Amino acid sequence: MKKQKADLLQGTLELLVLRLLSSGSLNGWDIMQRIQLISDEVLSVTPGALYPALHRLEQRGLISASWGPSENNRKAKFYQLTSTGRKQLEAQRRQWERFSGAVTMILRDA
Amino acid sequence: MNLKTLKQRWYALTHKDKLEDELDEELRFHLEREIEQNLKNGMSPEEARYAAFRTFGSLDQSKEACRDARGVRMIENILQDVRYSLRLLVKNPAFTFVVVLTLALGIGANTAIFSFANGILLRPLPYPQSDRLAVLDETALKRGINSMGVSYPNFLDWREQNSVFTGIGVYFNDNRFSLSGVGEPIEVRGSRISHGLFEVLGVKPYLGRTFTATEDRPEEDAVLILGHRLWQNHFGADPGILGKKVVISQRPRTVVGVMPPGFRFPEVSEMWVPLALTTQTFTRTDHGLLATARLKNGISFAQAQAEMNNVAAHIETQNPITNEGLGVSVKSLHQDLSGNYREALLILLAVVACVLLVACVNVANLMLARLTARQKELALRSALGASRWRIIRQLLMESLILSVAGGVLGLALSIWALQLLLRAIPIELPFWMDFGLDLRVLSFTVLVTLLTAFLFGVAPALQTSRVDLNSTLKEGGRGAGATSSSRSRSLLVVTEIALSVVLLVGAGLMIKSFLRLRKVDVGLNPQRVLSFGVMLPRAKYTESEQRATFFKNLVERMRTLPGVEAASATATLPLSGNNWGRSLTVEEFPVLSVGQAPMIQHTVVTPGYFQTMGIRLLAGRDFTDSDARDAPKVTIIDERLAREYWPNASALGKRVRFGPPEDNEPWHTVIGVVNAVRHRRMQEDTSKSVYLPHAQIPVNRLTLVARSSFDPTNLVGAVRREVSQLDPDLPLSDVAAMEQVMAESIWQPRLYALLFAVFAGGALLLAVIGIYGVMAYLVITRTHEIGLRMALGATARDVFKLIVGRGMMLTTVGVLLGIGGALALTRLMRGLLFNISATDPATFILIPVLLVLAAFLACFIPARRATRVDPLVALRYE
Repeated sequence: MKKQKADLLQGTLELLVLRLLSSGSLNGWDIMQRIQLISDEVLSVTPGALYPALHRLEQRGLISASWGPSENNRKAKFYQLTSTGRKQLEAQRRQWERFSGAVTMILRDA
Repeated sequence: MNLKTLKQRWYALTHKDKLEDELDEELRFHLEREIEQNLKNGMSPEEARYAAFRTFGSLDQSKEACRDARGVRMIENILQDVRYSLRLLVKNPAFTFVVVLTLALGIGANTAIFSFANGILLRPLPYPQSDRLAVLDETALKRGINSMGVSYPNFLDWREQNSVFTGIGVYFNDNRFSLSGVGEPIEVRGSRISHGLFEVLGVKPYLGRTFTATEDRPEEDAVLILGHRLWQNHFGADPGILGKKVVISQRPRTVVGVMPPGFRFPEVSEMWVPLALTTQTFTRTDHGLLATARLKNGISFAQAQAEMNNVAAHIETQNPITNEGLGVSVKSLHQDLSGNYREALLILLAVVACVLLVACVNVANLMLARLTARQKELALRSALGASRWRIIRQLLMESLILSVAGGVLGLALSIWALQLLLRAIPIELPFWMDFGLDLRVLSFTVLVTLLTAFLFGVAPALQTSRVDLNSTLKEGGRGAGATSSSRSRSLLVVTEIALSVVLLVGAGLMIKSFLRLRKVDVGLNPQRVLSFGVMLPRAKYTESEQRATFFKNLVERMRTLPGVEAASATATLPLSGNNWGRSLTVEEFPVLSVGQAPMIQHTVVTPGYFQTMGIRLLAGRDFTDSDARDAPKVTIIDERLAREYWPNASALGKRVRFGPPEDNEPWHTVIGVVNAVRHRRMQEDTSKSVYLPHAQIPVNRLTLVARSSFDPTNLVGAVRREVSQLDPDLPLSDVAAMEQVMAESIWQPRLYALLFAVFAGGALLLAVIGIYGVMAYLVITRTHEIGLRMALGATARDVFKLIVGRGMMLTTVGVLLGIGGALALTRLMRGLLFNISATDPATFILIPVLLVLAAFLACFIPARRATRVDPLVALRYE
């Protein structure tokens, strides 16, 4: 664990995964890279946390998986959002925005 | 959990290998990408690999976390346990066989007895809303009579005045009718019923209709309803049977209905004719009808009882003489029907439960012994990281598998055992008893099976899993666990012996009671006596003279048959269930109203009856042919009656009469006194009897009796010929040797004694095996110690005493506990015992002695083996 970086809470990780998959299907490696890239290396996730999270989301029917060729033409497991997953993403995003907005407000005004 | 998740989990369970491969592949892809990137970032190949693996932390942990995500981890573990357990059990066929068989016998016995109890006590009666059905009876509680039968006029008043029942029907108990005109004449069990009875029961006819109110009157009652079986067997299931004429007891009747399959009522009747009574033919002082009613919705039995109390009081004010002190009782039909069996069934259930407990103890014992031997394996598993809970769970899984196998086999055994049990019942059981397998029986078996697994599995599992890892592995599988396990095993054996003592004492009491009952002097000699019934149809034998002549001729013909020593006939054969009670009035004693006059057993016989049945004539003379219809009315009374009225004088010449006193029936002069006969029950019968000559009371059905000089059943062919020579249309019924009649009258105590003996015997066997097992085990675990003792100078005798002493100590503790338990419990079965105290000293001494002897034998073999221990070998054995 890299202590200096922000650890991702499990729910947050799932939200991020759903968001990343909303714009297209990705494999586990891509997801991990993108989280680091987009967050300017602030957020990081270990494979040991990411893959169980992916499998849980799949088990819950929020994402589905299929095997296909990766960029370097190797067989990889790609995940994509299901329609339930899309709904769930919307709901979770709204909730997150309400939550973070509230926290920000308190931090600023209180 | 929705269907989709279930489907996914099912997929995860059934495609485990595929999922594993995919997981490997997915993670391998990730690792390779990571390595590639590290290489790009300028690491050496080795560094790149190392760094990639490091990001994963533990690869196995990640995999485990992914597997957990499938949500079937628990099930997978259980399946693993099942496979492992099955493998172990298959590897130990002897152990598995003994355990499964023991459990199957225990569970089977329990299921069989439960099915029996279920069919009688629990299963609802086969009528719609049968819990609303009630039995009504008349009572005279002030005189201590709580069941006197219903009188017809009272029934009519009840029907009119109550507001709690949707209907009331009355009927006579099963009776015999002869059915002729179609093939061989046969005797059919039938019943006379009031119209509306089947509506009360809620049973609709299969064909046609039930009786109308009009048909329930004399002269208009020439109609008939057939039972389904009778219709099929005797009328070839003729669909056009309705409207046809059938000759019943030589009176033609028109069939108006056929009842549905399986239906018989009240007990075994399969043919019904209208009651057709009037208040003149069946007055308020005549009792003997049975009544069934259906409660209106929302009315409780208590409310119905309260209402009927008012109705009875009202009838009493209008009929103060005939209905003095008469009340009505309202009881649940099911409880009324099953009441006779309840106590015995509950006790039997407790007994089989005890047997199962003993079986569980024995199996627990075996499990402990086996687990002690398996300690090394368990310690190894725990050293490899299996948690204590995981080991307990696996051990419990073994118990569960064993008990489920035992339960399945037990269920199969119970079906067979129940057949055996039902075949041991010599009477035709009432139709409402249904012993088929139902959900209740199955649930019971499942419950017992699980409980069993728990009982014999938990203690050994907990005990063994507590084992100290280090010492076990070091000592090579013996030692630490062995002593504590030997202590638990001793405890189990003590329990087993105590339970067996309780069961054996119970069985001993039942058997002794039954043997005494069988030997009881009923006042007659049943040996080599044949009995059979002949009923003369009133339609043909209208004149009493005809009936008297017929039976007189038949008896005379029987007397001439080779081998017949004596022959006669009676209206009510003792212990056959046929009784005839009438009120008695004695000359020179106060005349009591019908309700208060004593009831006596009224027996009509032909001359020679006492000689044939071995009843002693104590004074006076027997009836002769000269005691004819027009001769002075005579009677013979039994010694009980004579002693009560004329304790210090001869009863001969005194006069008595029968029936309601106001009817002024003629006086009968006492011409003889005979010894008392137990007419109703072998157990106890204090009723007093009078005998009257058939010529003067020419009833139309008699039971003929003949004493033969050889096996009486050999007479059957000859008497059948004699009867058909007199009248070819007459069927014989209830052909049986008198000894058989008596044996059948006590079938219940016999069956209970038999079951008790079987169950207690099984428990004894298990207990003896248990003691043997523990002692044999003791000798093995203490071989070293014994060798040491012998090396230090102990003789074979000392060693023998050591081992047997230990076994006897356990036995004594068990026996003492058992005697205590038996003293507390056998009093519960007092109601089933005859002529023997529930704490019969002989039984309480004999049974423990028997058990101690059996235990001694069980200790003997291991003790002998101990004396043969060679000190040299034993000490090297380490």
